[in-house]
Amino acid sequence: MDKEEEAPQIPRRTRRSSTSSWASTSNDVSSVKVNSLEPQTINDLLVGGEPVSLDDLLSNFPGRNSQIREIVHLLGPLNTPMLPLFVYGGASTGKTSIILQLFRHLNRPLVYSSCRTCYNPRILFESILNQLHLHRRSAANGYSNAKRCERPSDFVNFLREALTNAINNLKEKSEKLMSSKTMRGGIGNMIYLVFDNFQLVREWDKSSTILPLLFNLYDMLKMPEVGLIFISNSSPDTFYSNMGYVEPIPVYFPDYVEADIRKILLRNQANPKLYSSFLDVSLRPFFRITRQINELSTAFKPLYEKYCEPLSDKSIVPNEDMKRRLFSHIMLHVSSSLNEIFKVSSLPLSKVESSKETTQKGTPRKLEHCEEVAKLDFHMSTSAKYLLISAFLASRNPATLDASLFDSKGGSDNRKRKRKPSEKVPEKKESLEEELLMKGPGSFPLERLLAIFQCIVSVADDPSDEEEQNGFGLGVEGACGDLMSDVLLQLSSLCNAKFIFKGRSCPIEGSTRYRSSISEDLALKVARSLKFPLSSYLYKRT
Amino acid sequence: MEMKRENHKGKALNLLRSRVCDPKFAFKALYNSPESNYSKLKFMISSSVTEACNNSILLLGPRGSGKISVLELVIRDLLDEYPDSISVIRLSGLLHGDDISAFKEIARQLCMEHQLLFSKSASFDDNSQFMVAMLKECGLAHKTVIFVLDEFDLFAQGKQRLLYSLLDAMQSVTSQAVVVGISCRLDADQLLEKRVRSRFSHRKLLFMPPSMEDSQSLLVHMLTIPVDSSFPRDYAIEFNRKVQNIVEDKRFKETFSNYLNFDSSVKHLLKFLFCAISHMDLKTGFLSLENFKTAFSSINRQPKLECLRNSSILELYILVCMKRLEVKEKSFCNFNSVMKEYKSIHDSFQTSDYYDRNVCLRAFEHLINRELICFADNRGHSLSVEYRPVKLLISSAELNQGLRAYHSCPAILQKLMDREG
Repeated sequence: MDKEEEAPQIPRRTRRSSTSSWASTSNDVSSVKVNSLEPQTINDLLVGGEPVSLDDLLSNFPGRNSQIREIVHLLGPLNTPMLPLFVYGGASTGKTSIILQLFRHLNRPLVYSSCRTCYNPRILFESILNQLHLHRRSAANGYSNAKRCERPSDFVNFLREALTNAINNLKEKSEKLMSSKTMRGGIGNMIYLVFDNFQLVREWDKSSTILPLLFNLYDMLKMPEVGLIFISNSSPDTFYSNMGYVEPIPVYFPDYVEADIRKILLRNQANPKLYSSFLDVSLRPFFRITRQINELSTAFKPLYEKYCEPLSDKSIVPNEDMKRRLFSHIMLHVSSSLNEIFKVSSLPLSKVESSKETTQKGTPRKLEHCEEVAKLDFHMSTSAKYLLISAFLASRNPATLDASLFDSKGGSDNRKRKRKPSEKVPEKKESLEEELLMKGPGSFPLERLLAIFQCIVSVADDPSDEEEQNGFGLGVEGACGDLMSDVLLQLSSLCNAKFIFKGRSCPIEGSTRYRSSISEDLALKVARSLKFPLSSYLYKRT
Repeated sequence: MEMKRENHKGKALNLLRSRVCDPKFAFKALYNSPESNYSKLKFMISSSVTEACNNSILLLGPRGSGKISVLELVIRDLLDEYPDSISVIRLSGLLHGDDISAFKEIARQLCMEHQLLFSKSASFDDNSQFMVAMLKECGLAHKTVIFVLDEFDLFAQGKQRLLYSLLDAMQSVTSQAVVVGISCRLDADQLLEKRVRSRFSHRKLLFMPPSMEDSQSLLVHMLTIPVDSSFPRDYAIEFNRKVQNIVEDKRFKETFSNYLNFDSSVKHLLKFLFCAISHMDLKTGFLSLENFKTAFSSINRQPKLECLRNSSILELYILVCMKRLEVKEKSFCNFNSVMKEYKSIHDSFQTSDYYDRNVCLRAFEHLINRELICFADNRGHSLSVEYRPVKLLISSAELNQGLRAYHSCPAILQKLMDREG
């Protein structure tokens, strides 16, 4: 009946209540020493690095002056309790780095965990407990965690225990410091838990219980020595919860204004005068599109090189006349690169430049252009390319049209194929095109994909055997069974690469449906690399 | 000498911060009258302790109105009064909402309380039998077990096995327990099953947020530092005088009532005080009206308008396009339809901001990240962003206001919005 009866059978899993805190502290310390070769100390909870002064911090983060001061005020002097903070603001506004640098400046222990890397409650709980237990996962302990904990109830118990230990540790330490009177101030008795990327918790499976739990953690722990800081991309009002919570104190990081961005971009420039005149020209138009510093700085890098092109000496201080000259030089590039701002190119700049003229226009390029146009910047096997094209066609064209596009002879009858689509009534086509634009690519069953695949492969192989000679041969003619297994493999790798989406199985037909997600540009590019006349197969383009 | 003065200022700040962070301080001040919930609750629990009977009470009220804190105060007093005849088991619906972990936690706390060995691997049945047995034992030893069930409504989900076995065990003469349920759902007792409800005594205590006058006197109480040996006498007097001055200021009263109109619960008030105290200038060492104003503006935020202020011009264009589509009552809106609208605006007004599709798509994604728009359904994961239906998360009034407040908003956007009315 009583607990004691069953206890002796499983002595290792029982735990005596820790009524006296000093005893548990000493236990903890000894276990840490056993666990890791180089024992971590409470100092490992500090951010580390050279100490920074507040002035340095303020100058390191232009435009964040008031936010830094506000957080410093809210954190308060050493050993003062704090209500939970909710730091929010858009992407790349310096939330995380400011918090971390601030703790480096303040030299106080913090437990940092990002909800992006700790992507489910269990990992989050265990990461926090590991840090608090000064536990480092290593080969010696088999990369195990300090505590195994999945349920929120266990987490709160473990957390309370670990925090009590750590805080007692800190208190002992600061008492020693007080007696020895070292010059540098102690690290205090407070422990701060930082939850970064907190907005991601909303998408977790158990978000409806985890969110209120974390928001109510401060009230639940009832430990004044614990400070909580939530860092989130989205504002507090987007954290809906049907049970409510006492909202933490909001600290808002607005996006940088133009002047701040200027200051930030000017930092670490070799020739600030020149760069500043460059920014005079280019910042304003770009700023109309995006206000995120990371995107702006990547966009400006190639543009600045362009700007400097006419100059022989890049360390020159520009005068008015030169500025004018440079201005007229760069103006063309600014307007064109505005539309390229988010393009990440793996090709050298010059090549992109040459292809830009053709890519500007939305119309599909003619096949004649294909030689000089940029090629695919990734490798793909020929059969995968054909498969991709057939998936694209299957998504694009209505299924009823397949028979007329690819007849039994393998679509070699060009005349018939070309005529059929153009016979359609224009209005109907327009509405279809509209539908395509709205609904997106259609889905198709596997059978249809394979049928189209076989048709286009046989078409492509008919006129010339170039492919085979190059060693990229598919061996279609030879072994059909081989091809099938190969194709299914290719299909799954295309699905994994997200070129083709694999949908849920259709409730009526019972088979899985697929959907191609590539853009027309990419499809044309792929087709061009195979010298495949894709545009003549597309239903809407005649 | 100077150093010492600084010390006092820091100490004052520290004292105020600790007061604000400890809700018990506030509620103790608030509930010292004999008519208060504190006295009622204390009477109820202490009578069941002294008379050795069973009892169940619900504490209901909005979040941050001090249900837990008052209960904690009562429990602390009772533990002082009857140290050997009370043991407290604390559960929270957030943590122990499922029956298995609830029983486990009860067993754990009972073991801890009575210096028994707790077995982690004990089964659900073991734990529930253990609880019933322990209740009996405690009853025989004239020890009252107080069960505090925070977030009571969450215990009422599912089969309510915990509540049933707890209340059922209390029906027997030998046991001696008090169940205190805490919930912010006023209909918490309606959630109970019939078999549970019939075993529950329907005592309810309602916690209401304090009136404006009470809040104000609470504020003064919180901010007044003791005039005794802990602070230099003249400093403390000056400090308290300044606080009094601030409270009597007309502008402060306005800010304060604005703030409390929004939410008058004590926790909300404490948040405000915390912000104000944090901004206290340590050079002067006194609170100022400015501190409270800063606190007010930093807590009362308008996230949607802030988001709008952060948007780039192109993002504003997209928002206006979407709003136009909404007004036209297009049932279905995705990136492509927005782009069509965007193009038509460009065609008819020849705006200078006409960008490539890719650029717009990225701006569109920014808007999704800012949560000014969101996907209308969760189904279309197999579609790429351009095709997924989206909806606006901002009203036209907000958009209008945001556009007007925007620093360099193109005139055409405002015109377009005005036309839509």
